[in-house]
Amino acid sequence: MQDPASTDSRGGWSRRAFLAAAGATLLPAAAFAAVRKRASAPADPIGRDKRRMLQLNGYAIDAETPLDALTTYITPNDLFFVRHHWNPMYPSPRTWRLAVDGEVSSPLALTIADLRRLPKTTVTCVLQCAGNGRAFHKPTVPGVQWRYGAVGNARWTGVRVADILQRAGLKASARHLHTFGSDRPPGKVPAFNRSLEMEKALADAVVAYEMNGQTLPPLHGAPARLVVPGWAGDHWMKWLVRLSPQPEEQKGFYMDTAYRYPDKPGEPGVALQPSEMHPVTELFVKSNVTEAPASAKVGRIETIRGFAFSGAPDIARVEVTDNGGATWKEAWLDPQHDAWAWRLWSFRWTPPAAGKATLMARATDSRGTVQPKDAVWNQSGYLYNGWHSVGIEVTA
Amino acid sequence: MRRGALLALLAFGAFVAFSFLADPVASAKASKKSRKGKAKSAAVANFDTKLPVLGTRLSEFPAGPGKALADQACLNCHSADMVWQQHLTEKQWTANVTKMIGWGAEIPDAQKDALVAYLVANFGPENTKFAPVVSRPVGR
Repeated sequence: MQDPASTDSRGGWSRRAFLAAAGATLLPAAAFAAVRKRASAPADPIGRDKRRMLQLNGYAIDAETPLDALTTYITPNDLFFVRHHWNPMYPSPRTWRLAVDGEVSSPLALTIADLRRLPKTTVTCVLQCAGNGRAFHKPTVPGVQWRYGAVGNARWTGVRVADILQRAGLKASARHLHTFGSDRPPGKVPAFNRSLEMEKALADAVVAYEMNGQTLPPLHGAPARLVVPGWAGDHWMKWLVRLSPQPEEQKGFYMDTAYRYPDKPGEPGVALQPSEMHPVTELFVKSNVTEAPASAKVGRIETIRGFAFSGAPDIARVEVTDNGGATWKEAWLDPQHDAWAWRLWSFRWTPPAAGKATLMARATDSRGTVQPKDAVWNQSGYLYNGWHSVGIEVTA
Repeated sequence: MRRGALLALLAFGAFVAFSFLADPVASAKASKKSRKGKAKSAAVANFDTKLPVLGTRLSEFPAGPGKALADQACLNCHSADMVWQQHLTEKQWTANVTKMIGWGAEIPDAQKDALVAYLVANFGPENTKFAPVVSRPVGR
């Protein structure tokens, strides 16, 4: 296990800061100073020079977060990746209604005020675009060439789908929750209509109207979006306007052709039929390095940091190798955690010899699934989760 | 005389202090103003203001035969950035152009091959020309 003391600078309340603050309450003046300091501290410890986005598409906007800004447990709203299928049509919060119909005994049309009166819940979990890491699939595949940063961890506040559907009188015949957003595609492009299994929707899904304690921003689906903890972003319908429980799966391009993953790994570069694939659902176990020095000196300890997450609710272990996977050493896991949130990790590495070192990280989730060296190639480039490696120049 | 002046100064000071305290609206306004000013300067200092706003820097298709075709076929729905970041084989480009025509891209049948040729020439498997636009944090 690695020493946790070095994580102080990454924000939140570290053990050291907490003890300092607890001691300070004995002295009113010091306590005042501590409170003032906390109040005037930035909302997140990401430096000014790191607060930027990488725009991949000017319109419809697609932008990812640079890895060196993904260093906090909670990803700030203004640094959270943005994905659009096409230019959105933002619903007016005044006229917006969430229609609940289909296999229910009493259909609903909820206003945002209605939604806010229902039992409130908050989940903290990872949202990752299904195509995050598409750029690393070889042979290359078409689509937005996301690298590392179409992922973030946020607190989502809203109403459990189960609570909404219970009020609508959900019928036993419902097997799939059909979801609809307000955005309309251009030309003859098929609509982005989706569905997910009723079991998952009832167990974990939330209709969220707040993100990290703030009103959900329009770019992230205001007034309300679906949150499906542990599942890829294609299920997290933005600008949500309709929930419709149905006996059958949703049909259409974005169910039958897109967002499908091979049942069995095929040959890289060889496209499969939709019938040989199934819908993308759970995220794959994955870790990334967010902080590592470009250069180091033999024998002088350097701290490597990153995050890890999975479709399983927790991460059991993150390991780092500096010899191509021959041996692994365990990283220290930050205690901050919620189900399906990411784990921040850090690893104190002693450079063994001069030359170019390659460090790689791999995560193991709470079900025992180990992150693979190479991701399974698939024609749409979903769920890339190969080992992330960083190069460090070591001098004597 | 001196004592009188001192008394007058004290009285004036007390008056000023009292009038400030007695006018909660003015003092609230003053503090609100200063808070607002602080919040504004904090927001400005939060990121490099020289960075462009997200969605304001758009790439253009490279010059050459086929640019007008690409402009007409692609730009109704997405910026040229989407194309710049691809590096696809002729087979992949043909499949994508066919898909996009099905989705409403305005391209006469007779010019489909010319468009594919332009895309392969500029954004073929060896294309490494794309770099994301470093932009401001997204705000709302």
